[in-house]
Amino acid sequence: MKRRTWLPYVLLAPGLAWLAVFYLAPLVQLASVSLQSPFPGYPGYYYRNVDVGNYVTALGSFGAHFGRSVLYAALATVFAFALAYPLAYAVAFKAGRWRNLMLVAIMAPFLTSFILRTIAWRQILADDGFVARTLGVLHLLPGERITETWVAVVAGLTYTFLPFMALPIYAGLERVDPRLIEAGTDLYAGAFTTFRTVTLPLSMPGVLAGTLLTFIPAAGDYVNAELLGSDTGTKMVGNVIESQFFRVLGGYPVAAALSIVLMGLILVLVGAYVRRFGTKELV
Amino acid sequence: MRRNRRSATGGGGDLHLQALTKRFGSFTAVDALDLRVPQGSFFALLGPSGCGKSTTLRMVAGLETPTAGRIRIGESDVTASRPFDRPVNTVFQSYALFPHLDVRGNVEFGPRRRKVADAAAQAQAALELVAMDHLAAARPAQLSGGQAQRVALARALVNRPEVLLLDEPLAALDLTLRRRMQGELKRIQHEVGITFVHVTHDQEEAMSLADTVAVMNAGRIEQMGSPTALYDLPRTAFVAGFLGRTNLADGTILGRDGDWVVVQVGAHRVWLDRARCAEPDAPARSAVRVGIRPEKLRLHRVALGEEPPRGGFTAALGPATVVDISFTGVSTEYALDLPGIGGWRVFEQNLDIEDEDLRPGDEVVVSWDSRHAFGLSGRDEPASSSATEEDLVGAPGVIR
Repeated sequence: MKRRTWLPYVLLAPGLAWLAVFYLAPLVQLASVSLQSPFPGYPGYYYRNVDVGNYVTALGSFGAHFGRSVLYAALATVFAFALAYPLAYAVAFKAGRWRNLMLVAIMAPFLTSFILRTIAWRQILADDGFVARTLGVLHLLPGERITETWVAVVAGLTYTFLPFMALPIYAGLERVDPRLIEAGTDLYAGAFTTFRTVTLPLSMPGVLAGTLLTFIPAAGDYVNAELLGSDTGTKMVGNVIESQFFRVLGGYPVAAALSIVLMGLILVLVGAYVRRFGTKELV
Repeated sequence: MRRNRRSATGGGGDLHLQALTKRFGSFTAVDALDLRVPQGSFFALLGPSGCGKSTTLRMVAGLETPTAGRIRIGESDVTASRPFDRPVNTVFQSYALFPHLDVRGNVEFGPRRRKVADAAAQAQAALELVAMDHLAAARPAQLSGGQAQRVALARALVNRPEVLLLDEPLAALDLTLRRRMQGELKRIQHEVGITFVHVTHDQEEAMSLADTVAVMNAGRIEQMGSPTALYDLPRTAFVAGFLGRTNLADGTILGRDGDWVVVQVGAHRVWLDRARCAEPDAPARSAVRVGIRPEKLRLHRVALGEEPPRGGFTAALGPATVVDISFTGVSTEYALDLPGIGGWRVFEQNLDIEDEDLRPGDEVVVSWDSRHAFGLSGRDEPASSSATEEDLVGAPGVIR
């Protein structure tokens, strides 16, 4: 039978068309807007140009926001990892017949709008709420409040992206052959050494996926900083982009430049991270 | 790698299992097993899948906790010690090599955990022993089955355990490679002098490798001994059927004639050596099962007027009908139908080419030297139902 060489292209076509229309075209448009100049005398109007001034503004005026975005996202990734790994480990190895129930519990928050959940965190962390008051009584709260601080923003980010960390790690751990763990104990490694030398390295593909799925969206997030942070000192790049787009007249080119820079920054950081910790050699 | 060098974990000694029992819920996988494996021997646990041999091995390794009983190695009781505290290492059935480490990393894993000073040198020596030093930098995924098997062996042997456990180590290899690795295993065991406990369902593998074979069935050891002793004188129908092939005939004891037991089988009388009876003191009229190996039988062509030699203790049954003939080169195998007794098999060595040979439908008489027959308990379950499983390699079961 003659091989139908056109078949793969036919199968790929709808997806490629979708990407071209809804991803590639807007991206080109975004890049083009980021280089436009405001039309003199007509606020809110632009003309096509190669104006790197938008990038100068983006980096010059909003450098601190970029720093916060990367820092908060990195902190949230670390905390989410610290919480998610034991959780995923328990589900993969210790849950027994409760396994599916626990997986559902991890995913259950998705059934509620994340805006609602983030607003709920405002209540939980509120000044006269249980958490803040308890910490205040124990003199563990130097600034007297949690909301409107970076702690609340990082906590919110950690919470929001926890399932994105937990599920890939669980998938990675679930694939670890239990016989390899037995082989570790047979070869004089105690429980913790076996974990460190066998289980953890073998679960690294899941950890890598989880950290990427947490860090990348967290770095671009603005809802947590908006709802849990303060108006000054905890804003992230996402907040600036949002306000430049929707609230600042003539802010489109700067917002576009900010988006392009953020994208480039994440690409560089993630690229370096994957190069360093990539686990291509793993089977 | 020298012979009989002791590991750092204490004096050597026999592996001794005492009333070892493992129950999973209401299922008894291993039933009060008593076993002593002499130090330095090559010991095989042979049995069908599900007989408890792997569970026994896992208990010795410490990967399974016994429900009852003790495990001793030499003077020390290791029943309660953790797997990483035992002077025991395992070659796992699927090798269980660490995919994230290269071959050298796999072999060094044990010595590094024990913090020995020259881990790298020991790993190198172990890899040389199994002729895998040239692939030390390869990843397990790049190895063939036989190579992975060697690495798994080196990874266990490098630790100089008191006892090396091998859980069906050759099951995943093709037949040619399996035969070659059997030779390798025997050579390596001879060279290192470590006690090998080898679990297998392949009777040929067990017999060709081990000094001592224990045949397990339903959580118990049916019979234990040297391969020749087990083959020559099985004590139960299960063993008779699991090791090689056996022809069985149900009979009734008529009485005793000196050292011989006289048995009525159908219309014939046959003799059993008392020393070769599982129940030598069974009274007259009790049931007995006569067993004889296919290669011990002679065929006499009725059409040619051949008759079994008279006198002595030559036993004969027949006439029987030839049902099937298969020529295998070195021998010819005949399937016979013995009326009232069942189907029997005869191996005849091809000493010369005969023009006038047998065809299906021909009538024959079978005879044997009574010294070769053995007597089994007549109350045993029919062995063919318990011994044979479709997927068992080399376990043809009993022909009745």
